[in-house]
Amino acid sequence: MEKPDHTEEANPDRPKFALPVDSEHKATVFRLFTAAQPHMRAFHLSWISFFCCFVSTFAAPPLLPIIRDNLNLTATDIGNAGIASVSGAVFARVAMGTACDLFGPRLASASLILLTSPAVYCFSVANSATSFLLLRFFTGFSLATFVSTQFWMSSMFSAPVVGTANGVSGGWGNLGGGNFSQLKKSGDKHKENLPQVVRHAVTNYRGWILALTYGYCFGVELTIDNIIAQYFYDRFNVNLHTAGIIAASFGLANIFSRPAGGILSDIVAKKFGMRGRLWTLWVVQTVGGLLCIVLGRVGSLGASIAVMVMFSVFVQAACGLTFGVVPFVSRSAHGNNDNGDEGSGGGNSNSDGNDGDGGGGSSGMMAASSIVVVVAMAWSLGIISGMTGGGGNVGAVLTQVIFFRGSRYKTETGITLMGIMMICCTLPMVLIYFPQWGGMFCGPSSKGATEEDYYMSEWNLAEKEKSFHQASLKFADNSRSERGTRVGSAPTPTDETPIHV
Amino acid sequence: MAFGCFLVASSLLLLSFFPEACYGVTFSSLQRTLLVTASPTTGQVLKAGQDQLTVTWSYDQTFPAGTDSSYKTVTVKLCYAPISQVDRAWRKTVDNLMKDKTCQFKVVVQPYSPSSNFSTTWTVEKDIPTAIYFVRAYAYDSNGVEAAYGQTTDAHKTTNLFEIQAITGRHASLDIASACFSAFSIVSLIGFFYMEKRKAKLSQQT
Repeated sequence: MEKPDHTEEANPDRPKFALPVDSEHKATVFRLFTAAQPHMRAFHLSWISFFCCFVSTFAAPPLLPIIRDNLNLTATDIGNAGIASVSGAVFARVAMGTACDLFGPRLASASLILLTSPAVYCFSVANSATSFLLLRFFTGFSLATFVSTQFWMSSMFSAPVVGTANGVSGGWGNLGGGNFSQLKKSGDKHKENLPQVVRHAVTNYRGWILALTYGYCFGVELTIDNIIAQYFYDRFNVNLHTAGIIAASFGLANIFSRPAGGILSDIVAKKFGMRGRLWTLWVVQTVGGLLCIVLGRVGSLGASIAVMVMFSVFVQAACGLTFGVVPFVSRSAHGNNDNGDEGSGGGNSNSDGNDGDGGGGSSGMMAASSIVVVVAMAWSLGIISGMTGGGGNVGAVLTQVIFFRGSRYKTETGITLMGIMMICCTLPMVLIYFPQWGGMFCGPSSKGATEEDYYMSEWNLAEKEKSFHQASLKFADNSRSERGTRVGSAPTPTDETPIHV
Repeated sequence: MAFGCFLVASSLLLLSFFPEACYGVTFSSLQRTLLVTASPTTGQVLKAGQDQLTVTWSYDQTFPAGTDSSYKTVTVKLCYAPISQVDRAWRKTVDNLMKDKTCQFKVVVQPYSPSSNFSTTWTVEKDIPTAIYFVRAYAYDSNGVEAAYGQTTDAHKTTNLFEIQAITGRHASLDIASACFSAFSIVSLIGFFYMEKRKAKLSQQT
């Protein structure tokens, strides 16, 4: 994937990097087994630190059988602590996205990690339900390093490899020394009209539907992280160690299944375009929901583990598939930066056609926020991604509040009901319709709507005069591949002077 | 080959829907033929790892002769009172004794003998959690299946309950370590920012 970069040799004053870079000093290749400064070193440091944050947030759940007796917790206390652990990150991600924009990911993530580590140390000092809940809440803040990890990857790696970098770092996290100043983005950054961008994002119904569906794949994943060890310990009487291993194997699938979801989205899109992406996402997430229902019904240990593993693959792949669709929903609300998203892996290799400038950041958008406050603050990070990512955490909170708090439902009943809710909340996907590509049940508009029409509708005349819409135009051109191969190539004017000679 | 795998997987799934093979004895079918008393008075608080409790049990002679012919061993257990089971499904009382989680701690196991009066003194172990308890003794037959029981409280588990207080698990050394490491994190962050500022100032001067 090495592209000869002639501008490097032409300018002897340019800094030398170990990896080949493009005009923005972003690496154009991804070499996993080096620690070359700054790109690969930043990659390794960021996935390791994100991994540590994930471990600290979800270290308590497998030990709950001991902790609940030690601290005299009730099922309600445990449920509340689980909710607190994922809701903390909702707010932290907002702040993190802004901090990355203002100070850079290196300082932002170092500050966050060093400020949340006292909460991790103080777990040994907890002696009541309240202190336990507060500690899980503050430790959960560290999940916002996801945002800085993806931001960092998007700053360091160019479009063709940013998907891989984002996917591997996010997936391996779910499981420095870089000099940010050297890699400051070049290119024009106009001040976006915040209210306008917010309006485009929140009035785009597709963003809301995707937020809902993501809430019921990633949200379900976070919920399972919180409850599954206790479930196996209590229902099947395995010992604590075994329950912990079984729970760990749920998260372990993230190494490959999430990136695989993204890659699958791209493969399907080559033949069937956006309609293929939507159908695949719906099928995979619905199958995940069915497996979740079965998981709650299965009564024997071996079969339960088998179903859980299959369920984990499908639900995590659905997360990756979601972010194969998100980049196409809106371009103005997509942010200036090539930012990462929630470990959506290769879904972003759709960046084949994009060049490496600011607007081409296909996959990676930061998962920033939760609905009300965050939408306003997340503008520079991509509101659509923020809404979707926020929907994930909101889904986790909702699911735990309804099904896994207190003693209203037995855990197995809660799991089955959660599966039913997954299927129901995936159904609204049939309503997603792109005029230029179609939806699940309808083909593209017969009036010949084009990609340009769709993305240009977000800019008014004044903005177009100032050429603010150029990045969107480029993206529209590159996104024509979403028509799939069955549709003929876009009509090209044959009697005009070509723009590029 | 793929179809074969599918067959195996689906048959596994189907089989797994059938409930667990063994269905144990139910508590409601047991007779209360043992008389059990324990030393703690109502509401007394025992400290785990320190205090002791004495359990005495014997066979209730008012039952017809031969009722105890199958009893081989007696296990005395510490059981949760209803108030400590509220909102805690992992301590739930279920009639099927294989699934019952009321009595999770074994005090002593003794061979059964109809005429004797057995007594044992037991130091409350360190891993007993803070809760309200009573004492129950199960008589087992030669197959290890429950045959009878006796308990210190009444049928509704409201009388003669005592409390055990668990060890705290907190030590001064852990507290100090937490404080030191936390302080180190904050201080290193401040130091990190200070170094950054200095580097920026130096590079500006050159």
